[in-house]
Amino acid sequence: MRSERRDRVEEDVTQTPSGALAARIRSGSGENPYLCYLCKKCSTGCPVAPFGDVHPAQVMRAVQLGDEAMSVDSRFIWLCTGCETCTTRCPQGIDVASIMDELRMIARHDGRVRKDAPFARSLDINYRSFRRWGRLYELELVVLDLLKRPKAALGYTGLGIKMMARGKIRLLPTMGDRGQMKRMARAAERIEAGRRAEAKVAAAGKAPGAGGPSAGARPKAGGTP
Amino acid sequence: MTKLAYYPGCSLHSTAKELDSSFDGTMAKLDVDLAEIPGWQCCGNSAGHSANRLLAAALPANELVKVRDDMKLDAVAVPCAACFNRFQGANHEVGDEAMAADIAQVVGRPYDGGVKVLNLVDVYHDRVGLAALKSKVVKPFQGLQVACYYGCLLTRPPKVTLAEDPEYPVHMDAVVEAIGCTPVDWDSKTACCGAALTLCEPDVVDELVKGIITNARERGAEAIACACPLCQINLDSRQGEIKKTDGAWVDMPILYLSQLVGRALGVSDEQLGLKKAMVDPTKVLA
Repeated sequence: MRSERRDRVEEDVTQTPSGALAARIRSGSGENPYLCYLCKKCSTGCPVAPFGDVHPAQVMRAVQLGDEAMSVDSRFIWLCTGCETCTTRCPQGIDVASIMDELRMIARHDGRVRKDAPFARSLDINYRSFRRWGRLYELELVVLDLLKRPKAALGYTGLGIKMMARGKIRLLPTMGDRGQMKRMARAAERIEAGRRAEAKVAAAGKAPGAGGPSAGARPKAGGTP
Repeated sequence: MTKLAYYPGCSLHSTAKELDSSFDGTMAKLDVDLAEIPGWQCCGNSAGHSANRLLAAALPANELVKVRDDMKLDAVAVPCAACFNRFQGANHEVGDEAMAADIAQVVGRPYDGGVKVLNLVDVYHDRVGLAALKSKVVKPFQGLQVACYYGCLLTRPPKVTLAEDPEYPVHMDAVVEAIGCTPVDWDSKTACCGAALTLCEPDVVDELVKGIITNARERGAEAIACACPLCQINLDSRQGEIKKTDGAWVDMPILYLSQLVGRALGVSDEQLGLKKAMVDPTKVLA
């Protein structure tokens, strides 16, 4: 396993570095991946790094090199819990967790979400659930998720019954203002989709090592060094 | 009597009903009047910010603008740590002009920040205050050893949560001390329990949960106090699974901070929802 990974890293070094991926990330998240000098503080604090195919610092390096296989296609981006330890500790003030979010969005946008990442599907069901009801319908979330993975579902039956007995599962959804939710979601999706399509086209024309401000880049809120 | 807007969030209406009812019980005892935001929506949670940044900021901004313009209040209590984080995120994002303009377009009215967002710990520690809390205690704990678990989203990232010490926070410790518990000094206060992955990657989650609970136990804790519905259900419910492979596992009760505070203030056990926990907490509370 370990030597396999090293082989991949060595292969990757021979690829032509490209700034296109970094430019897309910068445009979507406002974060500049080239600020990273690979101190690996993100990886040492990451709770799921020991379980991933790569760790956060490797993802950052891959992004700098424009290596999509090691970043967009990694299983790691679907293991990230969003705990924000990396973001909190980064000496360069990079919002690393936000870059993981961005990589997920790029994977979805480009239709390259890997099959062995159940969290990807779980997040999609979750998004559709709160979008539909105005509030998250937890039972729907669990049932739709586990229906696709009957083998995994078996492991949760006992727990489900216990939770049911304790009145911790609400059978019917509670609803927010559904009309307002639909209107807001549509507006936000329209604006974001337009921006993303533009960023992808703009990034495709990027020269190698593009670290300067990109056309669609939005300055970071709050201002970090 | 102080009045606070109240945003329960989705979990408090299903898997974390006892957080809703125990929080409510303590607020009544502490003379805080809670006004639920009418027609509140989901804050978007992790699924929101990993799919659509704009919607993820606009959803909580929409609630905050309701608090300010419709309810005419200046602060909102958000007991769910995940929701709290999204709300603080919205307050942070509107600091950026371009983002604020996009948010206003989605929400339909402008919001420029300014509504104070209080998590479960903040409500007791900052709004009520330790002295006032102490003065209302009718059944003080006799030194119950409690590990205060803050998890991820109460304190991280500090530029968003505005937490004073994101690596070793102490406000929850001060609250449990005020009601007669002894907070233990431990390492996993702000470790991640992996709750987001609880359905998808149970093997990973069980390792994280084991690490956190074992650390608390080794430091002498008799119970873990938490302020997040995802942490509570994850730490509480995974223990049954862990026991299947670890015969020597000793159960650790996982309580909401509001349940401990409520107990000391004389809120009824029924309202505290103590029977909803998987690991029975009543033995350590006796």
